[in-house]
Amino acid sequence: MRTLLVALALVLSACSAGQDGPTTITFWDNNGGPGRTPIYQELIKRFEAANPDIKVEYVGIPSSSVQQKYDTAIAGGSTPDVGGVTTSYLAHLVGQDALEPADDRVEGGPLKGKLLSGLLETVRQTAPDGKLYAVPASGNLDVIWYRSDRFAEARISEPSTWDDLVKAATQLTKPAENQYGFTIRGGAGSVFQLLSEAYSYSGIEKFYDGGKSTVSDPRNAELVRKVAELYKKATPEADVNNSYTQMVAQFTGGTVAMMHHNLGSTADVMKALGPERVSAMPLPKGPSGKRTVVPNPTDGFAVFKGSKNRDAAWKFVEFLTSAESNGYWNEKVGQIPANTDVRGAEWIQKNPAVKMALGVLEDPATVIVPAPVYLPEYSSITKTDTEPLYQKVLLGQMSAQEFLDQLAAKLTTAQQEWEKRK
Amino acid sequence: MRTRTWAPYALIAPTLLLMAVFLVYPIASVGWFSLRQHTVTQPWKNGFIGFENFRRMLFDDPLFWQSLVFSAKWVFVEVGLQLVLGLILALIVNETFIGRAVARSLVFSPWAVSGVLTTGIWILLYNPSTGVFQQLAQWGIGDPGTSVLGDPATVFPATVVTELWRGVPFFAILLLADLQTIPNDLYEAASVDGAGRWRRFISVTLPHLRDAIVLSTLLRAVWEFNNVDLIYTLTGGGPANQTTTLPLYVARKAVDSHDFGYGSALTMAGFVILLFFSILYLRLSKFGSRA
Amino acid sequence: MTQTLTRPETIVPPPPAPPRRKKHRDPSRFFRLHLPLVLYLLFTLIPFYWMLVFALRPAGETALVPWPITFEHFDTVWNGIGFGLFFQNSLIIALGTLVTVTVFALMGGYALARFKFRGQRVFLLALLCTQFIPGAMMLIPLFVIFKSAGLLNSLTGLIIADTAFQLPLALILMSGFVRNVPVELEEAAMVDGCSRLRAFFAVTLPQLRPALVAVGSFAFIGAWNNFLFALMFASKQDKFTLPVGLSYALGEFNTDFGALAAGGVVAAVPVVLVFAVVQRFLVQGLSAGAVKG
Repeated sequence: MRTLLVALALVLSACSAGQDGPTTITFWDNNGGPGRTPIYQELIKRFEAANPDIKVEYVGIPSSSVQQKYDTAIAGGSTPDVGGVTTSYLAHLVGQDALEPADDRVEGGPLKGKLLSGLLETVRQTAPDGKLYAVPASGNLDVIWYRSDRFAEARISEPSTWDDLVKAATQLTKPAENQYGFTIRGGAGSVFQLLSEAYSYSGIEKFYDGGKSTVSDPRNAELVRKVAELYKKATPEADVNNSYTQMVAQFTGGTVAMMHHNLGSTADVMKALGPERVSAMPLPKGPSGKRTVVPNPTDGFAVFKGSKNRDAAWKFVEFLTSAESNGYWNEKVGQIPANTDVRGAEWIQKNPAVKMALGVLEDPATVIVPAPVYLPEYSSITKTDTEPLYQKVLLGQMSAQEFLDQLAAKLTTAQQEWEKRK
Repeated sequence: MRTRTWAPYALIAPTLLLMAVFLVYPIASVGWFSLRQHTVTQPWKNGFIGFENFRRMLFDDPLFWQSLVFSAKWVFVEVGLQLVLGLILALIVNETFIGRAVARSLVFSPWAVSGVLTTGIWILLYNPSTGVFQQLAQWGIGDPGTSVLGDPATVFPATVVTELWRGVPFFAILLLADLQTIPNDLYEAASVDGAGRWRRFISVTLPHLRDAIVLSTLLRAVWEFNNVDLIYTLTGGGPANQTTTLPLYVARKAVDSHDFGYGSALTMAGFVILLFFSILYLRLSKFGSRA
Repeated sequence: MTQTLTRPETIVPPPPAPPRRKKHRDPSRFFRLHLPLVLYLLFTLIPFYWMLVFALRPAGETALVPWPITFEHFDTVWNGIGFGLFFQNSLIIALGTLVTVTVFALMGGYALARFKFRGQRVFLLALLCTQFIPGAMMLIPLFVIFKSAGLLNSLTGLIIADTAFQLPLALILMSGFVRNVPVELEEAAMVDGCSRLRAFFAVTLPQLRPALVAVGSFAFIGAWNNFLFALMFASKQDKFTLPVGLSYALGEFNTDFGALAAGGVVAAVPVVLVFAVVQRFLVQGLSAGAVKG
């Protein structure tokens, strides 16, 4: 058996060694599937036409397993040349010393000065050394999708504050008809969304104040309480275990009138309900009247250190983030293009959600409150440790303040440790 | 039976080889990592820490105990129900009736469905806006918006039912195959002795199936203990950790949180428990001791 | 339960020459047989129906009986996701695993059942031990082994991986089946001058047909549905399998239920059909007396 394996290994390696023609680079799409694969295939076709000496091998990774796939590949030393990454797990890849910094390539190449500074900043923040480990390609924003038709029918205007939203949610709830005003994300990914809700309400401008997490601020707790009080009163009972999947299904299925998600669900929402029945608005404001935004993870491309064809890999990344490709890609998926040359594109004018999101991000009055995704423990704290606690809050087994206190304590400890290492 | 000593070893050689190459080292590596602090995202902290992970697990981690208790409940309920229903099902489709072939392939078919798909289907089925309870509510049965996965009172039975859907055929297939090896003359002899259907089931069928039942329950128990995918996708272990099994907790720690050392320690705990359980079970059931 | 006038063929299939098949009505048969069967069929089929409805219904609609139906979801999975190739890969892997697992399990199961040898109990426990650790925890060391053996990105590698993981279970099950075949039959054949091998093929193997079907189909289905190995040990689009393709429907921000359901139909229907064909081998009319001594 062992000799068989060795023999097999020889045969296989002999096969892969004999490539004399064009350079081949592999590209892993971190969210492979029917929505995005064809877009990349088109872009790769264009790239290969322009660069006949480079072949790109596309591999679509299902998004639910992408972190595990990267972890395994890194540990086994079989990383791709280029990989799609988002800032929500970029820190893990950087921590494993898997990625090549992009600073010099961006500064010395055609992308210099072309990328949205806010997104560059978000990416830089994920690394302890402040370097750019991924070239941002698109930004996302938390939005409230709402049923404009039901709002019009009930003569309610678009809520601009959380209190308005709570009122509207209650008004639009008709349990007998299985209609609810709002839906809460109580399952996977809950705390991430909850934090952006809390900061949009409290108007607190920093995640840390003097090294201590501001998460447990009573103003944040107030919002958590308000949302939790909607549970079962103005939301379906199922919400306590909702991941985005169930949330979106409830919204597109017509059960709920408002849903907090992000631009990523544009295609689904529009396909199911159409622009005449659904609109997007930014997260409402709180009593302070300030617009504070916790940025959603930024999507981008990273070149892996293990790549043997880094020049070709960077060429591909530059191509993907060029104005033309970046515009094409973001138009198709409905997200915010990172390349500033795309800003004037016609399609943005025709996509109210993206236009609205750009408006929020460009508004000088908007304060960006970046979450500390650079902490190696960040996802473990906000997911494994505290998502079950938030469910306790929803089920009335824990108070909002107690929940945030626990979360804040963990975030503070992690931050202190991080400062020490920095 | 008289044996020449090399024969059995030659017969198990391929299996031993595969196990040696592909299973021994990975299992040993989990054991090794359980003695280490190992977080891939914080490599500077990594190192040998002896039994610290186990100390933390046993004394500082209530979730370990909670998940263990839930695992036991899950395995017991799931395997018990699968066995009983599977046996009934096997006996039913073992009878002669019109359309038996069709009925058989239909009731066995969920076994052929993958984990990803099973949860996908049941998420659709349980979904309060597009699922079966919404449909029932439209017909006036139950309340609209009923969410069996969202209600702490129903989340456990709902998850159990989902796994039953796929698991019962496992037992049914195995037991049906085993039923075929019961010699007819045993039944005939029992009938001649005046034994009724129930007596024949107790005195002929069950004893014959004993080894198969012992084996399949054991294998299934081990399998259900380590079954992560279904609960993970269906409930994520929630609400509020109510449905978190030990392996699910391992996945959250080792895969999601990258705390591989601690995840390995939890895995080793599961390993030891299963080993102990298996030995005890085989002893108590006197497996293989039948004449 | 106190009935004395019962027909043996209600418990076991009729012996070759059906005796006393009296056509009298047995009301208990309805409660004993038909009612539970119908209930169980409902339980089995409703989820499948739900899947079918989602696969054939345009997104966003909720009709219980969709009309007109659409094939756009099938178009998505077949042409958009590339299920054709995944299907082929899954089939090769599952068939390969089926063959290797069944052969090795038969060999090992026979050894466990028919011989007493040193280390037998340890071997049995070791087999069980391999099932005690979730695959996800062994991923990285396995990956390293596969890489050094050059088995990444190959269907052969996936067959070996699936075989390694299915075999212990299959072997244990098989040993139970072999044990149930009376050893006297084999001995009688050997007395007649057969070698042990001939005796096995002539006498024991035919009796094991239901076992081969059960164990083989378990191996096939296990490999057909394996997601983790298929995704982790292959990094080429043309080496992925159906479960990987299915999980494409669950995106980062959106879930394509129509595609998931259509993909599910594509993945499930062939296996269910194969089941329908082989299930008759689960039944075997052979009784001990049928073997001529």
